[in-house]
Amino acid sequence: MDRDIAIRCRGVTKRFHYYEHRTSTLRELFIRSVLRRPITVKAPLFTLSEFDLTVRTGESVGLIGPNGSGKSTLLRLIAGIYHPTEGTVETQGRVAAVIELGAGFHDDLTGAENVGFYGSVMGLTRRDLEDRFDDIVEFSGIGPFIDVPLKYYSSGMRARLAFAVSVCLEPDILLIDEVLAVGDEEFRERCLARLSELRARGTTLLVVSHELENLTDLCSRAVWIDGGTSRAEGATREVADAYRASAG
Amino acid sequence: MSKTSGSRRKGPLAAARNLWRYRDLVGRMTARNLKVKYKRSVLGFFWTLVNPLMTVTILVGIFSYVVRVEIEAYWAFLISGYFVWNFLGQTLSSATYVLREYGQLSRAVSFPKEAPILAAALSRLVEFTIEMVLVLVIVAVFRHGDLPASFAWIPLLVVIQVLIGLGLALPVATLAAFYHDVEHAIPILLTTLFYLSPVFYSADLVPESVRALYMLNPLAGLLTLFQSVIHEGQAPPPGLLLEVGVFSVMLLALGYTVFNRFEPLIAEVI
Repeated sequence: MDRDIAIRCRGVTKRFHYYEHRTSTLRELFIRSVLRRPITVKAPLFTLSEFDLTVRTGESVGLIGPNGSGKSTLLRLIAGIYHPTEGTVETQGRVAAVIELGAGFHDDLTGAENVGFYGSVMGLTRRDLEDRFDDIVEFSGIGPFIDVPLKYYSSGMRARLAFAVSVCLEPDILLIDEVLAVGDEEFRERCLARLSELRARGTTLLVVSHELENLTDLCSRAVWIDGGTSRAEGATREVADAYRASAG
Repeated sequence: MSKTSGSRRKGPLAAARNLWRYRDLVGRMTARNLKVKYKRSVLGFFWTLVNPLMTVTILVGIFSYVVRVEIEAYWAFLISGYFVWNFLGQTLSSATYVLREYGQLSRAVSFPKEAPILAAALSRLVEFTIEMVLVLVIVAVFRHGDLPASFAWIPLLVVIQVLIGLGLALPVATLAAFYHDVEHAIPILLTTLFYLSPVFYSADLVPESVRALYMLNPLAGLLTLFQSVIHEGQAPPPGLLLEVGVFSVMLLALGYTVFNRFEPLIAEVI
């Protein structure tokens, strides 16, 4: 892969077929093998099909589309959380995904302990973490609460801390899923400012958001995903307008 | 650069390197297991000892005075193997839920799923080590009267014990991620296995006609090794040691293969 390409998806297809082809409980096994009745599909099958995407290093790309169109699945595939059914996903550099804010935080551990835990899940060494710890605490604006167990945090504080960890770990590629609507106005401003800063420093951004205004400020290019395929691609403003027109 | 596609799987070497990169995570998960378990309890670690201590007392009472098992210093015999059994049983029970415990995290971040399984075994190993030191001190003082040279074999036996534990925990955890039934099946299986393993009786008490069959149980060999080293204070029988050692490595290889085959799907199903 060329050095100036950060993300490349080629012919990526993702099917979730667990409820369709596999027996997952004894009850289902009984229904299927003894009663010989088909089992109804329990989960909707969100798919991506034959999806191609190339993002150059340092580029910011927005993903637009209705719920269930495959945006989050795409982010998870790029983050390596899911593996494609067909096709390949290639990334260059460290990837951090902000998909569910605070997922994997532990209530019994303090803010500081959670920061350590989260950093190590992202594959950071202890030293890397120590270097960034002060920055994380400062950015989150949590102050002395950093040494208090997470169960005493408000949901806004949790979100602040989670966001702070993800952006302060300085990934090469940052994937963000609908989390810009987090925290109070002041914190949101700071998040957007930090994202612009990261972008200026060469971090590759891939952002899913329904707030098209923010997206237009943040991303030069956007992809409109619908039903698991790319429906339009181009300058964010144009793609956003087209999407608005179709939704409106 | 990293590349993922549907068909590609990691080789054991690449997986080991990847796990090493995440060693800090394994450490933190281990510490968390212990911290959460003993948090807010006044007696803390003492509680780990209470349950086995009760069981040991009852078993010693019953099999020394009621159903008499003809083994010299029965109490020393029992504690030689009981904690080994306890380690394996608890590692397997945690394997049934440990991946689900990190389910939310698995859908948000990509990390090697070996880490929580390994951490479950390691936090049990910390507790086992403390229990074992106590056992060795007690047996050395009250049975042997000095420190038998055979105790030097114990680290090797513990390594084999951990390999067997992981070799079983990896496929059990994988299966449990897909089938909730495993969570119900394992306790039953463990109870059965407790009676089929030489924990409260020795393997030589098993009739010779079925002993070969009996020794197919991987735990039978391991427990016998521990008993000969601790209770009898003798070097382990070399043949048996080799057999159990080779077996443990094969078991881990097999267990890891099963785990590795399904690892990419775990984040989707839990």
